[in-house]
Amino acid sequence: MKFEITKEELLRPLQQVSGVVERRQTLPILSNVLVVAEAGSLAFTATDLEVELHASLEHDVETPGIATLPARKLMDICRNLPDGAKLTLTVDGERGTLKSGRSRFTLATLPAEDFPKVEEVPSTQSVALPQKTLRQLIDATHFAMAQQDVRYYLNGLMLELAGSRLRAVATDGHRLSLADIDAELNVEEPVQVIVPRKGISELLRLLEESEEPAQIELGTNHVRVSLPGFVFTSKLIDGRFPDYERVIPADSGHPISADCGVLRQALLRTSILSNEKYRGIRFQLETNNLRILAHNPEQEEAEEEIEVVYDGAPLEIGFNANYIIDALSAIRTEQVTMNITDSSSSCLLTPDGEGGCRYVVMPMRL
Amino acid sequence: MARTWDRAIALVDMNAFFAAIEQQDFPEYRGRPVVITNGLRGTCVITCSYEARSFGICTGTRLPKAKALCPDVVRLPARPHRYAEVSSRIMAALAEAISPDIEVYSVDEAFLDVTHCQRLLGDPETIGRRIKQAVFDASGLLCSVGVSGDVTTAKFAAKQRKPDGLTVIPPWEAAEQLHDVPVTELCGIARGIGGFLERHGVRTCGDMKKLPISVLGRRFGNPGRRIWHMCQGTDPTKLTYEVPAPKSVGHGKVLPPATRDRELLLTWLLHMATKVGTRLRRHELEAGRFFVGLRTDLGWIGGKPRLPLPTADGGVIFALCRRVLDEAWDGEGIHQVQVTALDPRSTSQQIEMFAPNLDRRRLLHAAIDRVNDRFGALALAPARLLGRSDMPDVIAPAWKPTGHRRTV
Repeated sequence: MKFEITKEELLRPLQQVSGVVERRQTLPILSNVLVVAEAGSLAFTATDLEVELHASLEHDVETPGIATLPARKLMDICRNLPDGAKLTLTVDGERGTLKSGRSRFTLATLPAEDFPKVEEVPSTQSVALPQKTLRQLIDATHFAMAQQDVRYYLNGLMLELAGSRLRAVATDGHRLSLADIDAELNVEEPVQVIVPRKGISELLRLLEESEEPAQIELGTNHVRVSLPGFVFTSKLIDGRFPDYERVIPADSGHPISADCGVLRQALLRTSILSNEKYRGIRFQLETNNLRILAHNPEQEEAEEEIEVVYDGAPLEIGFNANYIIDALSAIRTEQVTMNITDSSSSCLLTPDGEGGCRYVVMPMRL
Repeated sequence: MARTWDRAIALVDMNAFFAAIEQQDFPEYRGRPVVITNGLRGTCVITCSYEARSFGICTGTRLPKAKALCPDVVRLPARPHRYAEVSSRIMAALAEAISPDIEVYSVDEAFLDVTHCQRLLGDPETIGRRIKQAVFDASGLLCSVGVSGDVTTAKFAAKQRKPDGLTVIPPWEAAEQLHDVPVTELCGIARGIGGFLERHGVRTCGDMKKLPISVLGRRFGNPGRRIWHMCQGTDPTKLTYEVPAPKSVGHGKVLPPATRDRELLLTWLLHMATKVGTRLRRHELEAGRFFVGLRTDLGWIGGKPRLPLPTADGGVIFALCRRVLDEAWDGEGIHQVQVTALDPRSTSQQIEMFAPNLDRRRLLHAAIDRVNDRFGALALAPARLLGRSDMPDVIAPAWKPTGHRRTV
């Protein structure tokens, strides 16, 4: 295998796939990137056995070939070459050689046939949408995914295809986020898949704010997202996502309408003096007024009052401030509507005038 | 008037505490070599009187060896509840007569911050004498007291004269007094750190001045920086008046050798699980991960299972125990069981989205706990525990009169 390439051309695909190369691997080959050089094209693949990232580009190849090279070392060398540097990558036998100007590096390879390959994804469903729409869908929901929860099915983002909409739901058992987008689907029966956390964070890193299409294919065990020059494949979490519709509360009849930014700022300030671990804050609601209170074990206290639209009975309820702040940060409208029934039932937050997103936060006992 | 100290810390150390209580409660043992063991089955000396110490017996001596050293030795079973009672009385008296700024360090040791009592109670030496008097008035027992400007030097001072001693080291003399003392004599410097210091040429506290503080900081972080100060009589550690949250809450029992009866093992595990649950609830804690251990001749078997949601419910903990027993035990002989909550934390006030409502269960536990507080531990308990053993409870070395370590 032999090809010539510039630093920038090589660095981009390496950086795209390197997210799944972990520093300490039990399987040495997982520290390597698979390089496939064919006539007129180059392809780079990395995997952690759960997520596979595959970047390709059109490029002249002097001698076609296939090899695996240490991903991080290759990328670090590349990154530290001068801008615009031209380099030659040759793999001959068990050694890979990278030459650029008066620099020369010899890298160890591992047999390409040992590189783990994700099995083909027999696609059962497929949907195409602009990259930025998919990005918005993930952005609006991913923060509510659980982290290393024993309920493994919560450690991911649930994607649901039903009717003519694509829905994303994430929850950690304390709060839940849900976003819908209209999409042209031809699904006969609703399909649910859970994409692991790691896959979602990689995908979010790769998706751009562009109109270019992202093709999503769902298999029974895998999800594949194809972007121009790039293919993301992730195993799915084999589990049943909880019945999320059951926990989305109905309209309380007395919605609270508040300025999203003002409420968020007030929460950011008051939560500084909440218990660092539990982050508890207290909402005191009266007609057209919301008081936010926090205190910590050091007896420090915070109090804020903000103007809201509310015509219900006085109400007091506690929350983990972070959960409300996360939801408000994901809401892009100026106004937010909150529906609270009583101090032990869930709170529903929705952006005003935009139907796609819903956020549910369970309260804390006061 | 003598110079007031910027900081004055006193350490009270009870002399041969458990043995002294026995000798006081039973005059026939006064002046005799008394050793305390765990019940009449324990074979290890928990503590012993000064008469016994003169024969070379000390804490940890096995009973047969103690008898060989001193054929007349009097062996008494420990009465942890009595010791806890006397300890609580002493600590309360000190808080009342000397200073409310008291850190109960263990069942027989307490630190007092007397910085702010100097005008009221007199100079540090007078305060030291008052402390000894207060302890004697409350219990009739003797103690050793060390007074200095920081906790490490105060503890060092208290060790200097035993029994019934009083040693005062003014803060400005602390560095000089510690100068030739080997660093490993100080409380908190064990062999590991001692070895590190020795490799850096520090054997006595006086050598510490030569070592830059950053060397210790890099290797041990803040505890390392503290050691640097400790050796120079300037330990910055403040007393803690609240018992910190526990790192684990556990109960275990030694069983008759090679117990193989599954039902018996389950009863033991339920007993331990119930105790752990009760203690977690008493201190408003819950845990999501438990160690369930069964000790065989070849070591511990068992597991550290996780729960989806943290609990303080003995029934849930027992269900875990049953699962571990089913998975890990192949019928080998067991001689000890242990159930420990590994990550206890304050009961979460966060309401769950997908969990069943446990409010009724919570009320039930609150009622059971109230009954048991009034009528004694396990007065109301799962029926299986009717046939449990009567092995006496043991007092832990870390016992405290308040907080989660109060349990005997």
